[in-house]
Amino acid sequence: MIKMKRKSLFLLVMTIMMVLLTSCWSKKELTDLSFVSAMGIDKTKDGRYELTFQIINPGNVAGLQGGGGTQSPPVTIYSASGDNLVEASRRASARISRRLYYAHTNLVVIGEKLAREEGINILIDSIDRDPEFRITTSLVIANQSSAADLVKALTPVDKIPANKIMKTLEFTQRKWGENLKVSFQEVMRSLESPGGEALVSGFRLVGNPQQAEKLDNLQQSAPEATLRASGIAVFKNGKLIDWLYNSPARGSVWILDKIQGTDINVDWKGKKEALAYQTVRQKTDVSIKVIKGKPYASVHTRVEGDLGEVEVPVDTRQPAVIKKMEKAAGKEIKKELQTAIKQAQTDKVDIFGFGEALERTRPNQWEKLKSEWDDVYFPKLDVDVTVEAYIRRTGLRNKSFLSSVKEKQH
Amino acid sequence: MEKAKISATQLFILMVLFELGSALLVPLAMGAKQDAWLAILIGMLCSFFFFLIYHKLYSYYPDLLPTEYMQKILGKVLGTLLAFIYIVYFLYDASRVLRDFGEMLLTFAYPDTPLFIANALLMLVIIYITRKGIEAIARSGELLFIFMYFLAIAGFILIISSGLIDFKNLQPVLKEGILPVAKVALTETLYFPFTEAIVFTMLLPYLSNPKKANVTMLCATGLSGINLIITMIINISVLGVDLTTRSQFPLLSTVQTIQVADFLERLDVFFMFAMVIGIYFKVSILFYASIISTATLFKIKSPSRLAYPLGIIVLFLSITIASNFQEHLYEGLHVARLLLHMPLFAVVPILLLLIAFFKNRKRQQRQ
Repeated sequence: MIKMKRKSLFLLVMTIMMVLLTSCWSKKELTDLSFVSAMGIDKTKDGRYELTFQIINPGNVAGLQGGGGTQSPPVTIYSASGDNLVEASRRASARISRRLYYAHTNLVVIGEKLAREEGINILIDSIDRDPEFRITTSLVIANQSSAADLVKALTPVDKIPANKIMKTLEFTQRKWGENLKVSFQEVMRSLESPGGEALVSGFRLVGNPQQAEKLDNLQQSAPEATLRASGIAVFKNGKLIDWLYNSPARGSVWILDKIQGTDINVDWKGKKEALAYQTVRQKTDVSIKVIKGKPYASVHTRVEGDLGEVEVPVDTRQPAVIKKMEKAAGKEIKKELQTAIKQAQTDKVDIFGFGEALERTRPNQWEKLKSEWDDVYFPKLDVDVTVEAYIRRTGLRNKSFLSSVKEKQH
Repeated sequence: MEKAKISATQLFILMVLFELGSALLVPLAMGAKQDAWLAILIGMLCSFFFFLIYHKLYSYYPDLLPTEYMQKILGKVLGTLLAFIYIVYFLYDASRVLRDFGEMLLTFAYPDTPLFIANALLMLVIIYITRKGIEAIARSGELLFIFMYFLAIAGFILIISSGLIDFKNLQPVLKEGILPVAKVALTETLYFPFTEAIVFTMLLPYLSNPKKANVTMLCATGLSGINLIITMIINISVLGVDLTTRSQFPLLSTVQTIQVADFLERLDVFFMFAMVIGIYFKVSILFYASIISTATLFKIKSPSRLAYPLGIIVLFLSITIASNFQEHLYEGLHVARLLLHMPLFAVVPILLLLIAFFKNRKRQQRQ
């Protein structure tokens, strides 16, 4: 009898405990959170930081699939300023009904002015330290605009602007290679290198910023204001010093071994840009050695791809022709890599990490060259570029349409 | 001493879990920078020597707890005093590891929760399991060991498949020569986590097959050492030296960077599970050792009755040993090493062995 009583008492205690223990400290209810999808950082005129939060409107994102009449945008923008990032973020709570939640922040945008004048080193810490923020978050520099304008812009197709920016960077890096997608972690690692050199992707708002914030901008088939990936920002000692566009940009991404596929135009028999060589995969190795106190670097790349377009009458059934084309493509690529290296040497930024490569392989010699690397040794560095290009396939046709036309007309 | 037996496999499992415990949490051996793995390796190899000493002592007195044979070796007064110091050390170490656990939870997941609550919840479970005795601890070890390795292997595969590992971060090897690495190995990794397992000499008398004691201890240390080396290699090659050194919990940062196929990400819970399991066993074993040695020293018939009072001491000690996390870490790395680790893990066992050796030789000669 007593045993029974004890057992039931025990059960009772357990049940009460269960009810009490399920509630928890530090709880975060979904309805009390506002998900920050992107955060923009600018500097105000009086020297404070201005944060712009792009907050997801959960209902509107889900309801947008049908298209047509939409009442409110998929994201809402709030901004707040403060002497440091944490203060600004806390101050923002006066304007937002929910708790700002950063665990899903995929994108941080920094205004060009701030990046040029003050640099980004000082901004890193709060994001690096915070347990909610991820170091896999992407970093983007607003090219020729403030970060706020970029964060405020609404985008078609991908309703959440942060996702649009991320996806654009990812695909353009894969298909064209003049842009880079970099995470906070990668930027931190390059800023910690001896010269503090880093490459960060740039994004630009094309069109009127006021127009970009409006929903009716999206109700046109060709929106007046759009966002596009534009340039790669070059940082030295944490400050933005230059933008890379076109071939120096692509060459730099190439040397960093981050390019996945691109198109190289090759001249053929006097006709400019006659062949389109689409690369499929490539592998680039950088090595460096010191001979008699003078460093020599070599960049070797091996690229495979196929022909995408032939604008001259040529019979590609001949292996010898393909060989020649490979050689011509290799030359084009080499030119591009050399322009990228030249550009970096004029800027005196060792963005390719030749210095780090030397430190890794020959630490003793690096110690001797370290202090004058950026100013003396790197700008004059002898870089030997070798390219092995292979054309593996020629698509569905073995000779060009133009060559058939030519045969018929003769 | 309670009447219980554990098998060699169980001892092995407990020892691996113990040595992984809080060592997975911290930036281990980062004083050696990219050669941290080497420092761990050297520390592990050197600790083998000490395990042989611990085992030799055990082989002289296979049925006695160290707190008992200390009295035999040093005499009643000195032996009791030394045993008491070890008990206090085990309690202190248990509270340190408990504090690690609380700090990890609060830093990373529960910023608004008081430290006391986080620590108290784990301590309650530990008090419960130690009351059930060493056999219960060993059995739960067998269960959770499999789970821990499942987590580790899954995490390992995910890190590799997300292509994060860059072995270039481990170069240059031995940039400043072997000396700084050896220094880190002999002053840090040798003691934490390897010879910290001196607490297992308290469990050796429970071993059902005493012949296997030596091999088991060495194998367990070897396995946990290899695991720690792999972990540090992964941490450094994923995060780089600077970020690893700057991280409070490098493994957490590594796990956070996993992104596979756009949906397998934010696997922080892998890290949390592994940490909770490891720390739970580390505290349990230290706590259990302090309970049985207190019971034998003060001749208390049922050791399990000590679980509550000593548990409350550990809990309060874990809150009061330091006023902030950084102070706690500083104490562990700088103060405890000189005052506690070196004398208690290295000097005292060697002296005890010397005295025991001569005493036993005399006895043998008399026979």
